[in-house]
Amino acid sequence: MSDHSTATLGSPPDDAVDGPAVHRRSQRRQRLFTPALLVGLLITCGLLLLSLATGQYEVFSEDGFWMFGITRVPRTIALVLAGASMAMCGLIMQLLTQNRFVEPTTTGTTEWAGLGLILVLWLFPGASMLARMSGAVTMAFIGTVIFFLFLQRVTLKSSLIVPIIGIMLGAVVSSFTTYIALMTDHLQTLGIWFAGSFTRVVEGRYELMWLVLVVTILVFVTADQFTVAGLGRDMATNVGLNYTAVLFMGTAMVAVATGVTATVVGVLPFLGLIVPNVVSLFRGDDLRSNLPWVCLAGIATVTVCDLIGRTIRAPFEIPVGLVLGVVGAVVFVGLLLRQRKSGGLVT
Amino acid sequence: MPISASTAQLSSTVRSRGLSALSVGAIAAFALTACAGEDADAADAEQVSSDTQAEETAGETAEGSAEEGAESGTVTIEDDHGTHEVSTDPQSVIVTDNRSFRTLEAFGVQPSAAPLGLMDAQTHSYAEDESILDLGMHREPNLENVVAAEPDLIINGQRFQQYYQDLTELAPEATILEFEPQEDADLVEELIRKTESLGSVFAEEDAAAELVEELETEVARVQEAYDGESTVMGLLTSGGDMSYVAPGPEGRAIGPVFDTFDLVPALEQEGENESHGDDISVEAIATANPDWLLVMDRDARISQEEEGYSPAAEIVEDSEALQNVTAVEEGNIVYLPENFYLTEDIQAYTEFFRDFADALEAAE
Repeated sequence: MSDHSTATLGSPPDDAVDGPAVHRRSQRRQRLFTPALLVGLLITCGLLLLSLATGQYEVFSEDGFWMFGITRVPRTIALVLAGASMAMCGLIMQLLTQNRFVEPTTTGTTEWAGLGLILVLWLFPGASMLARMSGAVTMAFIGTVIFFLFLQRVTLKSSLIVPIIGIMLGAVVSSFTTYIALMTDHLQTLGIWFAGSFTRVVEGRYELMWLVLVVTILVFVTADQFTVAGLGRDMATNVGLNYTAVLFMGTAMVAVATGVTATVVGVLPFLGLIVPNVVSLFRGDDLRSNLPWVCLAGIATVTVCDLIGRTIRAPFEIPVGLVLGVVGAVVFVGLLLRQRKSGGLVT
Repeated sequence: MPISASTAQLSSTVRSRGLSALSVGAIAAFALTACAGEDADAADAEQVSSDTQAEETAGETAEGSAEEGAESGTVTIEDDHGTHEVSTDPQSVIVTDNRSFRTLEAFGVQPSAAPLGLMDAQTHSYAEDESILDLGMHREPNLENVVAAEPDLIINGQRFQQYYQDLTELAPEATILEFEPQEDADLVEELIRKTESLGSVFAEEDAAAELVEELETEVARVQEAYDGESTVMGLLTSGGDMSYVAPGPEGRAIGPVFDTFDLVPALEQEGENESHGDDISVEAIATANPDWLLVMDRDARISQEEEGYSPAAEIVEDSEALQNVTAVEEGNIVYLPENFYLTEDIQAYTEFFRDFADALEAAE
C-alpha cells in the first residue's frame, strides 16, 4: 500500500456523516509531524505528568518515591496504553464498517469479552489473569466476527442501523453474562471487574497491558491497508487488497486490545467513538496523519477523565468508566444531532 | 451499558424501582450495576419500613419489648412495624431474614420455607434440609412458595425487606415480623433486641439469653482492650479489590462497630456507598496509616472452594503499597468471619468481637 495515501475515510453514498471538514481538508496532503502535533504531544505529556503528580500519598516523604513506583507509574502507563489502543480500535472499526458510530462498546465486542471472562471464571475457577484474558480476547474475537457476519446480511446499512445492531447484539450477550454471573454468585465480582477503573492498577496487576502496545504499533504499521479497506470491499479488492485478510487482522487487533483492557481495567465506554470522531472533525479524514492525533487524544481523554475521577471525591475515587460514560454520551448525542443538521440520512 | 440494561430488565421483574430508574440514567455505569441491586434494595426497604412505621407507630422507639402472655399461648411482640399478637406455637414459620437463620436454628425452629440460596451448608443446617421450600434468592425470589407454605408466622428481613408488601398480600393470615437494625441505634442493642424478641416468639428465652450473654462478654472484652487512641479503618474486599467502609451506621457491617467501641477512624471521611464501600486507592489507605484494619471478605463464603480465589488476607497483606502501614507491619488486622457477608447475625458479631478482642489483647 502506498505511503502517500490521502484517501478519505470511506463513506458509502448513503452515509453523509462526513461534515464539510472532509471536503475542505482532505484535498490537501497533510504531513505527519506538524508543529500542531508537537503542541498536542506537549499537552498530553503535561497531562501525564499531572497524573503522576496526583494521588493521596506524599511523594516527597521518606518512602514516597517507592510508593510512586508502585502506584503512580503503573497507573499512568496503563492510562497511556488503554487510551491509545482503545481510541485506535474505534478508528479501525469505523473504517472496516464504514460507519462513524462503531467502536468496541457499540458493536458488542466488550460484552463478548465480558462473556469470555465470566465463562473462564465459571468453567475454570482457578484460572490465572492470563487465562481470563485469553478467554476475554477469544470471545471478543468471535463476537466481532459474528457482528461483521451479521452486518453483511443487513442490506440497509444506514449509519444508525449498524450501531443499533451492535448494541442489540451486545445486550443479548450481556444478558447471558449476567445470567451466568447470577447463577454462580459472581454478579458483584463482574460489576467490580467491569467498572472501568484504574484504582486497582498497581505494580503486579497491570503488566498484561503491555500487550496492547503491540496492537498500537501494528495499527501504525498497517494503517494504509485499513485506509484502503475503508473504501469498501469492492474498491479495496479492485486496487489489489486482500480485503478478508485485512478484516481479519483488524478484528484480531480490536479483540486483543478490548479483551486485555476489559480484563485489566474494565470497560472504557465511548472512548473509541469520541476520539476518532473529534479528531476528524478538526482535521478531516486523512488516516495516516490522523493516527498520531487519535493516539494522543485517546491518551489525553482517558487521562483527563481519570484525573477527574481521582480528584472530585478524594480520597475516594470514581471509576473512569463512569466519567467517560457521561462525557461520551454527551458527545455521542452531539454527533447524532450534528449529522442530522448537516442533512445526513438518519433512516 | 447493555449489561446494566439487561440487569435492570432482570431485576425489574423483581420489582425494583430504583434500578429501573437508574438504568435510564446509567450510560455505561457497569460499576453501578452491581451496586444498584443492593442500593435499590436498601432504598426500597427503607421506603417500606418508613411507610408502615409512620402509619402504625408514630413514636416508636428502636428498643423492642416482648411481653409475656404465655397463658393464652400468645405473646405480644413489638417489631419494627408495631405490636403484634403472636402465637407461641406457630404451625408454619417462614424465615427470609438471613440474620435470623442461625438464631432460629439455635432455638430448634423448623421453618416451612426459606431462601436456601442465602445459606451455606457449612454454616446452616437448614441449607440441605429438603423439607424446607425454597424461596429463591432475593434478586429472583420464588414467592409462590410463600403461599404453598401456608405460614402463620414470617420472620422477614434484610435482603427480603423489599418484599414486605408482597408478603402481606400473599399471606394475609400470617404475622410478619421484622427486626432490622434501626438507624442511629446501637448495633449491640439492636442485636440483643432481635435475639430476645425471637426468643419470646418461640418461647426460647433461655437460649436467647445465652446468645446475648456471649455477645456481651466479647463486647466487654473489646471495650476493655481497646486503648481509645489507636486508629482503625474498615475495608471490604471483593473480586480482588479493596474498598473503604465508612465508620458509622452507613458503613456496611463494620461501620456501626466504630460507634459501639468509640473507635478512632483513621480516615475522617464520610462514605457514600452503603453496601459496597467506596472505591479507594491503596495510596489513600497508606496515607491514612491505620493502626488497625477490620476487613470483611465478601467473596469468602461464595468463592472459597475455588482455586484462584484470592482471600482478603492475600489482597491486603500482599499489597506492596501497604507494607509500611502500621496495621500491616504489626499484624493488627482482624478479618471478619468468612461467612459474615451471608450471616451478619448475633453469632457472627460475637465471633468477630472475640477475634478483635483476642487481637487487641495480644497486641498490648
